[in-house]
Amino acid sequence: MRKILVVDDAKVIRMVIKRILTRHGFLVAGEAGNGREALEKYKELRPDAVTMDIVMPEMDGIQGLKEIIAFDKQAKVIMVSAIDQRDSLTDAIRNGATDYVVKPFEDDRMVSALKNIFGEA
Amino acid sequence: MNITQDNMKVVEIMSRLSIDRASRALSKILRTGAMISLSRVYIADLSETTAKMNDDLREMTGVMVNFKGNVGCKLLFMLPVTGSFILTDLFLRQPAGTTKEYNEFTESVVQELGNILASHISNALVSDFDAILVPQPPQVHNDYAGVMFSNLVLEQGMTDDKLLLLETQFEICKTELECYLFLVPEMTSFGKLLDNLGVNV
Repeated sequence: MRKILVVDDAKVIRMVIKRILTRHGFLVAGEAGNGREALEKYKELRPDAVTMDIVMPEMDGIQGLKEIIAFDKQAKVIMVSAIDQRDSLTDAIRNGATDYVVKPFEDDRMVSALKNIFGEA
Repeated sequence: MNITQDNMKVVEIMSRLSIDRASRALSKILRTGAMISLSRVYIADLSETTAKMNDDLREMTGVMVNFKGNVGCKLLFMLPVTGSFILTDLFLRQPAGTTKEYNEFTESVVQELGNILASHISNALVSDFDAILVPQPPQVHNDYAGVMFSNLVLEQGMTDDKLLLLETQFEICKTELECYLFLVPEMTSFGKLLDNLGVNV
């Protein structure tokens, strides 16, 4: 079972993503509320993929992405944000994000983003 | 800055497009007929608006979002605490009436709704009007409308007695949910947006 780390500062969004992923056979191995916590959890849990919000307190998702990629170049990180702007998207991709899902999203969009990573789409 | 009637018309169109986008996003996330509509855009008198807010003595929950970029702006969305219970049940796909008190889920729902509203409003302003505008993490507060409005004014550092206000109506499943949505750009930013559109100010 693929292990996923869910990162979002809103508890309810973490709940929603967890519910979707669990229903589709993924294991949510951990949750984090900002980029700093995400890096700590990543080191501890070594998940197969991360879903990462962008706008978060303390450390935002782009910085969190950079730090995770600096720790593990092979890390698979999907950005999940309501910001649908070209600069934000290019910033994420340039810094190593694998995909970018815009909130609000359909369940299938999130699942297919993860399946694509693992070549299971 | 001299704001003409034509300038106000342009601002109204910009605001309507932004609010429409936010409304569609809100409908999608709540999976119901949620609609925010713009009633009017106007230059309000700060002291009159503050007095009006001070008259509303209901306990409110509100979310304030600051934006970074070349357009200085703040957003404040607030509604009575009982209204946030309705939103929580919709968001979490629970039967209506499940949420009976303010808790961590209610706070998180209001926080995320603030994020969705702010992000989609900024998406519209960025794509349609060449602004640079990125929302910052939302801050949720529980207090009286007047207190939250005063905080907004203080944080925006307003020295002028005039502010640009967007008055909105918020309906869920054809039931009006009373709320306030203030989108307060700095007056200089307002000029930048109009400049981007080639409108003389």
